[in-house]
Amino acid sequence: MTPKSQWAFRLFHLALLRGASLLVPARQRAEWLREWDAELWHVQRACAPSRCITWAAEREVTAFCLGAFQDAGSLARHWRQRDMPGPALRGSPAQCILLLAALLAASYVMAHLLPGVRAERSLSPRHVSPGLVLIQYEYSDDGAPATISPGQYRAWKGRKQQYFDGFAFYRVTEESVGQGAVSAGAHEKAGWRVARASSNLFALLGLPVQFAVPDLKDDGNMLGVILSEDAWKRDFGANPHVVGSVIRVGSQDARIVGVAPEDSWGLPGNVGAWLLQPDSEIASGGAGYVVGRLTSAGKAAMWAQCVRITAYGPGYSEDDLLGFSIETWRPGSWGIYQFAILLALLSLPAITSVSLGDYSVCSHKHSWSRQLCRWSFLSAKISLLLPIVYFASLDLAYGHSGFAPARAMYIQLICSFSLCLFGFRWVLQDQRQRCPVCLRTVTNPAEVGQPSRTFLAWNGTELMCTGGHTLLHVPALPTSWFSTQRWLYLDPSWEFLFAGSGTGMESEAISGFSSP
Amino acid sequence: MAPEAKLSHTAAIILQALDAGFVYGFSIMEMTGLPSGTVYPAMRRLERDGLIRSQWERQSIADAEQRPARKYYKLTLAGKTTLQASRKRYPLLERLIPSEEAKSV
Repeated sequence: MTPKSQWAFRLFHLALLRGASLLVPARQRAEWLREWDAELWHVQRACAPSRCITWAAEREVTAFCLGAFQDAGSLARHWRQRDMPGPALRGSPAQCILLLAALLAASYVMAHLLPGVRAERSLSPRHVSPGLVLIQYEYSDDGAPATISPGQYRAWKGRKQQYFDGFAFYRVTEESVGQGAVSAGAHEKAGWRVARASSNLFALLGLPVQFAVPDLKDDGNMLGVILSEDAWKRDFGANPHVVGSVIRVGSQDARIVGVAPEDSWGLPGNVGAWLLQPDSEIASGGAGYVVGRLTSAGKAAMWAQCVRITAYGPGYSEDDLLGFSIETWRPGSWGIYQFAILLALLSLPAITSVSLGDYSVCSHKHSWSRQLCRWSFLSAKISLLLPIVYFASLDLAYGHSGFAPARAMYIQLICSFSLCLFGFRWVLQDQRQRCPVCLRTVTNPAEVGQPSRTFLAWNGTELMCTGGHTLLHVPALPTSWFSTQRWLYLDPSWEFLFAGSGTGMESEAISGFSSP
Repeated sequence: MAPEAKLSHTAAIILQALDAGFVYGFSIMEMTGLPSGTVYPAMRRLERDGLIRSQWERQSIADAEQRPARKYYKLTLAGKTTLQASRKRYPLLERLIPSEEAKSV
């Protein structure tokens, strides 16, 4: 063999070792390579003691170097298994909690990212303030006509009342509305139905206003106008930046101060906008509606959602009026969620057993800490499941902006109920299949016995705790003598079968088997 | 777990070779006839299990002999106990690789 080929072989062997070293984890690579380099030096001397290199010797050295790949591979496998927590985590309580926490985080983030869900959460609970009545004449015709004059409203408001501590007025008119101020030559549009309302109407009713900018409401120089969601979508292209701009309502300029959500207005008069005016400006004009807020005395006088009122007008004339409750309660998303949980809890026994197995009746007694651990784990699962259901149901119901509010409400109810029901079922089933000692899920199911011999011998499925603590026997056909699952506790003499499973939990000292 | 139950025949041979005074990988290969791809991974496992431990030769010694420093392996106390148990399981082990005491006798 020529010196050139000798050098070529040496380089080849070094390259083999360098190549194999790439498989070795970086933190061990230098030392690993140093050992193999040293060994290679000795192998080369041993194979060619007289510096007379032969093909046979080079083949031996090459075979030696190829062994480095197996060594590097075994090291890499070992460190990969050690670094990856998979096998240790599999079936462990930590894995279960982490999985639930990840689901919770995902549903929470989704709820914050989806605009529909954000809007719904900002509006909940969606109901008007309690104790509000719409005041009308007792003998007025059906159809909730406007019967109260602005003068009466001002008179009531200026007088101390026994039944009321607040009034608001609105009158529905047809107005021409144009985009842009009058001074800017606004283009007039066809008439809108506009409610000329006292400036405290929305505050008294407690109605939500979307995109409201507080500073704009305090703009004393210009009237504020709140658009209905329909009008906002129809005439302003659902542009949220329209809030703050000036439009023309009738002969007046008004600044848009917000958008009233769809279906939030439950009073007579289907209007496109509410022009909020000071009381001095609504003194004249036709009759309108008055909303009053009852005091505790007024609430006590309520009967069948109605309160009878006698108003004294000018010249000591008496007017008989009725106040109709307008407290139309609507369940917000939180209310729907609570109702769904209640329904799911009531339905749960229909789809699964609510028992946790024979933990309580088995002969083996666990320490208090072990029992606390088990109950804490169950509580943690339920605590994580409930917010997951809430956020996931919101995501599903309000994530799609095309759903009408009423439909979204029903979707949320169905989703919350289904997720709760099957979530609780999973929680219980999972708990029943966890080793009472280490809380790991039992695995390796094995069929035991024959169904044809059910009444002669035990027949069912046997599962095993990988930590070597227990065996779980689940009967295939519940009988009077073996109706529910049973745990068989293994004593420490069985540990050698499970060595290396690495549960991290110490087995409890158990003397002998507990009889099934 | 009983120590002898974990030890394969190959691992027992390597422990016996170490006990016999073959203290680095290549010498064990030569003694046992096992390939490098078997000996080195087995020694890593034995070291992980605490049956043997390794130590680098002092650089000054290697420099004096004009060769690279080697990594030497040595049986631990647990390794010796395991080897005793393995000898009962594999009676031919000592005949295959006589220990230093046996050789000196």
